[in-house]
Amino acid sequence: MANWNWLNSFLIMRFKLPVAAAIVLSLLLSACAGTQSRNTDPENDPWEGFNRKVYAFNDGLDKVVRPIAVGYDKIMPDPFQRGVGNFFRNLDAPVTFLSQLLQGKVDQSADTFGRFLINSTAGLLGLFDVATKMGIPYYNEDLGQTFAKWGYKDSRYLMLPFFGPSTLRDGPARLADSYIHPVGRAIHGRNQWGYYIVRGIDQRARFLDQDAELGRAYDPYVLMRDVWLQNRRYQIYDGDPPLEDYDLYLEEDLPE
Amino acid sequence: MNTLARLFLLLACFASSINIFAQTEGADPVSLVINTTNHIFSEVNDNFESYQSDPASLQTLVRTDLIPLLDVHYSSRLILGRAGRGIEKEKVDEFAEAMISLLVNRYSDGLLQFRSQEPVMVLPQRGDLNEKLTRVRTRVKLPTGGEAPIDYAFHKTSDGWKAFDVIVEGISYVTTYRNQIMPEVQDKGIDQVIRRLTSGELELAE
Repeated sequence: MANWNWLNSFLIMRFKLPVAAAIVLSLLLSACAGTQSRNTDPENDPWEGFNRKVYAFNDGLDKVVRPIAVGYDKIMPDPFQRGVGNFFRNLDAPVTFLSQLLQGKVDQSADTFGRFLINSTAGLLGLFDVATKMGIPYYNEDLGQTFAKWGYKDSRYLMLPFFGPSTLRDGPARLADSYIHPVGRAIHGRNQWGYYIVRGIDQRARFLDQDAELGRAYDPYVLMRDVWLQNRRYQIYDGDPPLEDYDLYLEEDLPE
Repeated sequence: MNTLARLFLLLACFASSINIFAQTEGADPVSLVINTTNHIFSEVNDNFESYQSDPASLQTLVRTDLIPLLDVHYSSRLILGRAGRGIEKEKVDEFAEAMISLLVNRYSDGLLQFRSQEPVMVLPQRGDLNEKLTRVRTRVKLPTGGEAPIDYAFHKTSDGWKAFDVIVEGISYVTTYRNQIMPEVQDKGIDQVIRRLTSGELELAE
C-alpha cells in the first residue's frame, strides 16, 4: 500500500495550506486529463474536461456544505452575518494594501491602511465597518489582480477543488496572498482548519441566493464560469472594463 | 401667479414626471436612463404595498416604461449568434418576445426584492463613447447599504438610442444568456427553447 503520508506532511510543512493542496492536486489531475468531450470556450478554458471533473467534485462536496450554510443563514441574524463578513473583509486589508502599492496606487493604499487601523480598533477587530461610515472607500485588490495589471491579463480558467473558480494566474496568487494575510501567517504550519471552515461557510451562505439561478441554467458549469470570469475582469479593470466586442457576436451570425 | 402661468407650470410638471415617450426622440442615453429608472423607482416606492400584492400591475408598468427603450431584437440576435443562422425572421421575433417576458419578470421581481429608495446615480462618461455605441454607468443604492453597479450598453438605431445590454458588476446579460442559449438552441431547436422561456414565465408568475 502506497504511503501518502509524506505528501501530506510535505504539504503541511512546505505550504501549510489547503490552497497549496488544492493547486497541486488540480495540476496533477490536469496533467492526466487528456480526454475532453467538448470544449465550449477553447480560448479561456482549454482545460474544460478537467475543470468539469473538479466542478462535479465540488458539487458533490456542496451536498454537505450547503445544508450547513443554509442552517447558518437561518439561525444567524442578519446583523451578525454582516459582522462576520466585515471581520473577514477587514483581515484582507493587508493583502489589498500591498497589492495597491505594487500597482502604484499609493493614495488608495493609504485609504486601505486607514481603514484597517480604524476598523481593527474602533470597529472592534473589524466586526463593524466604521471606516465606510466615515467615508473611506473600500477597494478590492489582491495579487492575482496585481499580476494582471503587470501584464498577465488573460489566464486560463482553473477550477480548484474546495475553492471553486480561479485561473492559472489567480490560484498561485491566492496561495501567495495567504502569506501576507494576518491569520494565514499565524496559522501556517499548524493543522488549524477552523478559520477556513468558518470562512468557507460564511462565503457559501453569501451565494445561496444564486443557487436557484444555477439550478435553472442549461449548463450550470458554463454559467458559473461566465459569471466568475466576467466579474474577475471587472475587478481587474477596477470596475471599468471595456465593452464587449458585440460586433463579433453578429459576425458569427453570418453564413460562412 | 395668474391662472395661465399656473396651468402652464402644472402641464410642465406633468409632462416631465410621467413621460419618457416625449423625450425618446433624440434624447441622449444618460437622460433616458435617469428618467426611466427614477420614474420606475419612485413609482414602486410610492405604491410598494399595492405592487407587492399585485405583481402583474408592476409588470405592466415595466412593460410600458422600460421595454420601449430597449432594442430586444438586436439583443436577441446577439444572444442567438450562430445558432440564429437560417432561422426565419418570425422565429427570431418570437424568441425576442419570449426574452421580453423573461426580462419583464426578472426586472419586476428585482424591483420588489431590492427596493431602492434613492435616485439612481450616474457616473461620469468615460471612453467607449462614439456616434453609434455608448455605455451609461450607474450605481443603485441597495437597502442593505451596499451599491449595485449597473451599466447599460446603448446603440443608435433609426428610432434613436436604445439599450441592448445590461451589465451588473461586470456581468453582461447578453454574453451570459448567449453562452447558455446558443448551445441549447443548437441541441434542441429554437421552438423548444421558446417554449421553455415562456413556461418559465408561468412558473415565475405563480
